[in-house]
Amino acid sequence: MASASTIAIVGASLTGQSAAATLREEGFDGRVVLVGAEPQLPYDRPPLSKNYLRGGMPFEKTLLRPPEFYRERQIETRLGTTVVRVDVEKRALQLDGGDRLEFDNVLIATGGRNRRFPIPGLDLPGVYDLRTVADADRIRDAIVRGGRAVVVGMGFIGAEVAASMRQCGLEVTAIEPFKTPLYRALGEDIGLVVEGLHRDHGVTLILGDAVAAFEGKGRVERVVTRDGRRIECALAVFGLGIEPVTELVAGTGVSVDNGIVVDDHCRTNVPGVFAAGDVANHYHPVCGRQMRVEHWQNGIKQGAAAARSMLGRGQPYDEVHWFWSDQYDANIQYAGFHAAWDAVVVRGSLAERKFLAFYMAEGRVESVVAVNQGRDLRRTLPIIKARVAIDPARLADPNVDLRTLAPSERPA
Amino acid sequence: MARFVTVAKADSIQPGQMIKVEIDNFPIAVANVEGTFHAFDDTCTHEDCSLADGELVRTAVVCPCHFAEFDVRNGAVLVAPATVPLKVYPVRVQGNDLQVEF
Repeated sequence: MASASTIAIVGASLTGQSAAATLREEGFDGRVVLVGAEPQLPYDRPPLSKNYLRGGMPFEKTLLRPPEFYRERQIETRLGTTVVRVDVEKRALQLDGGDRLEFDNVLIATGGRNRRFPIPGLDLPGVYDLRTVADADRIRDAIVRGGRAVVVGMGFIGAEVAASMRQCGLEVTAIEPFKTPLYRALGEDIGLVVEGLHRDHGVTLILGDAVAAFEGKGRVERVVTRDGRRIECALAVFGLGIEPVTELVAGTGVSVDNGIVVDDHCRTNVPGVFAAGDVANHYHPVCGRQMRVEHWQNGIKQGAAAARSMLGRGQPYDEVHWFWSDQYDANIQYAGFHAAWDAVVVRGSLAERKFLAFYMAEGRVESVVAVNQGRDLRRTLPIIKARVAIDPARLADPNVDLRTLAPSERPA
Repeated sequence: MARFVTVAKADSIQPGQMIKVEIDNFPIAVANVEGTFHAFDDTCTHEDCSLADGELVRTAVVCPCHFAEFDVRNGAVLVAPATVPLKVYPVRVQGNDLQVEF
C-alpha cells in the first residue's frame, strides 16, 4: 500500500485501537488517525460495571494501551471529537469543530449509545445509565452517598450493576419486565439460575413489571411501576440496551440496517468504507446470515480483521462470538450465535451454579452458556463452529471430554 | 531468601496437565509441557482467576474466566484482556521431586 495513504478510524475504543495497532503490526506506514468522541484514550469498558464501579480500580488501569503506545507507533489521536459526517464522495470526515480530515480508507467503529425511552422523569438527577467512564463516575459518586438503588432492566449491564451495588452494601431493587433476569438471552431455565444468584445476594427482584415513571422533587425519590408499585430510592440506573451510532453515514449511500451493513471482510457497500465492532451488522460465514453483536471479543477481533481487510490482506471473519459477565462469584460466559432453540441440554449442576447449558436447534449446538466452567466452555467453540448434530447425551455427560465431540479440525 | 521447595512428585503431572500448589500460602501453578515443567503465578494478572483451572495449549495457559493467554515459559501476555505479564519461577526435578524456586 502506498505510504502516502491515510486510514481514518472513527471511534477510539476497543475496536478502533485494535484496528490501529493491527495496521502498524501489519507494516502499514501511512497515516493512521484515530478519532474519538470521548476525551480519554481508548479504555476498557467491562470494568465500568464491575471493579471500576466498586471503586476497586483506578482509571489508568482501564487504559487499553499506555499513552506512549500511540506515540511510538505514530498513531494520531483526535479525542473529544465527533465525526459529523463521512463525505464518501470527497473521502473526508467532517468533524464537529468544522475541520475536515481526508482519508483513503475509513473504518467506522462508533459502537453504540444507550437506548432511552420516553419514560417520565428519566432526566431527573439521580437517574443514570452506563456507557462511558463519565457515566460510571457519576454512578460511583451516588453509590458512595448511599441509600436504596433501583436497577431498571436486568440484562447483562443491569445485572452487573445490581451485583456491584450489592457488593458496595447498597439495598438494591431490580425491575425486569420479563419472567427472569437475562430472559431474552438465556431463556427461562438459565434465567432462573441468575434470578437465584441475585436473590441469594440480597437483591429484591420485581419481575414481570415495568417502570412507569421516575418521580421526585428536583431529584429522583422513587420509581413507580406499571403495576402501581412505588419504590423509594436515592438513585436509579437503567440498562435498556444500545442502538448503533450510524448517523454519520446517513444519506451517504452506505447501507444501514440495524447498524452498518458489512460483509465478512468488514466492507460496506461503498469501496474504502469499512465498519467493525458493535456498530457493524456483519455477515457471518459460519451461520450464513447477518448479525450485530455487542461483545468485547468481537470488538477486538473484528477491529483487527478490518485492519487487515483495509490492507488487502483480509480473511473471512468467522470467529465464534463469545462474551463474559461476572456477577458476584459467578463467572458467566456465552459462546455462539443467538437464535431460536428447541432444547436446552445441561451438563453439570444448575443448583450449584456450576454448569454448561447447550442451546440446541435441530440437533446442532447454536450457543453455550457456562457458569464457573470457563475451561469447558472454551472446549465447545469447535463444536459450535462445526454446526453438525451432536448427541445430547454425550454433551450432558461430564465424563465425556468435550474436545472429542467436534468433528476433527479442518486442515490448516 | 529464595530456595527450592518440593511441591509435587514429578510423575504426578502428565504432559499437557497443570496443577495448583501453594508455597507459603501463595498459589503457584505448575504445567507440564511435553516433559518440561514450568511454574508461574496461579492468579491471572487480569482479574484474580486461577490459571490452573484454565486450559494448557502447548506453551500457552488460557485463563478460564476471560481467556487471557500467557506464555508459560516466560510469562509474556499473548492474548488480552490481560496486559501485565505473569511472574514465572525456576523449576527443577530432583529424583522424582518437582521443586520450585520461591
